[in-house]
Amino acid sequence: MIRRGVGMAVASPLEIELKIFEDHRREWAQSHLGKFVVIREDTVAKGFFDEYEDAFRAGIQQFGVEQNFLIKQIWKTEPVYFVA
Amino acid sequence: MAIYEFPWNPFDPGDPGPCIKFSVARYADDIEYGKSIGLEYLEPPIPTALIDTGSPFTIISKVLAKNCHLFLTNPRFPIRTLNGDCETEEYCGSISFPGSGLPRIPAVQILARDFYKEASYSCIIGRNILKRWDVRFDGQGRTVTIKV
Repeated sequence: MIRRGVGMAVASPLEIELKIFEDHRREWAQSHLGKFVVIREDTVAKGFFDEYEDAFRAGIQQFGVEQNFLIKQIWKTEPVYFVA
Repeated sequence: MAIYEFPWNPFDPGDPGPCIKFSVARYADDIEYGKSIGLEYLEPPIPTALIDTGSPFTIISKVLAKNCHLFLTNPRFPIRTLNGDCETEEYCGSISFPGSGLPRIPAVQILARDFYKEASYSCIIGRNILKRWDVRFDGQGRTVTIKV
């Protein structure tokens, strides 16, 4: 379990959440490919979501608006989108 | 149904593309809650957005994302540009289109990028918003019509 605490350096926002996502990516990709997941600190929100907006609303309901949370779409490898 | 029609002349070399006024803010319900408990919010700016069917996502300038206190949902969203691969920030925000009659989108995925200083727009409306609209261009009439 990873927790933010005294003496633990936090490099940038949502780094812990990104690590938790990477730790679970392979497992989640087998059963929830293409869905969105929501993570705040070491807690994964209940449910996987078809749309980003649904994931955001679930994050707000479960975690509130006080602190940011991570929303990630689950793929086996990270897709890279072309943006001009 | 909301219908918004505006002129666009793609044959004018100085024309940046089909543009629409927009306003971006933090998640709408969050603001309404804040107002209900007495908080005051500055009216957001109303800059110009370019409608771009080539962009998979809606993108705003980093300055605007910071100033509007959007909700960060991924600090390292990977993208590919003409200059190579890099990471950018992904936010959730509420987007409205003042003066158009188009309905507000209360929560949508928004990427933040640096825009050229001389760009005449500070937002690109990408396919994650366009998928909600019926957008048509009349080449003879030189008008764009958006139906929602």
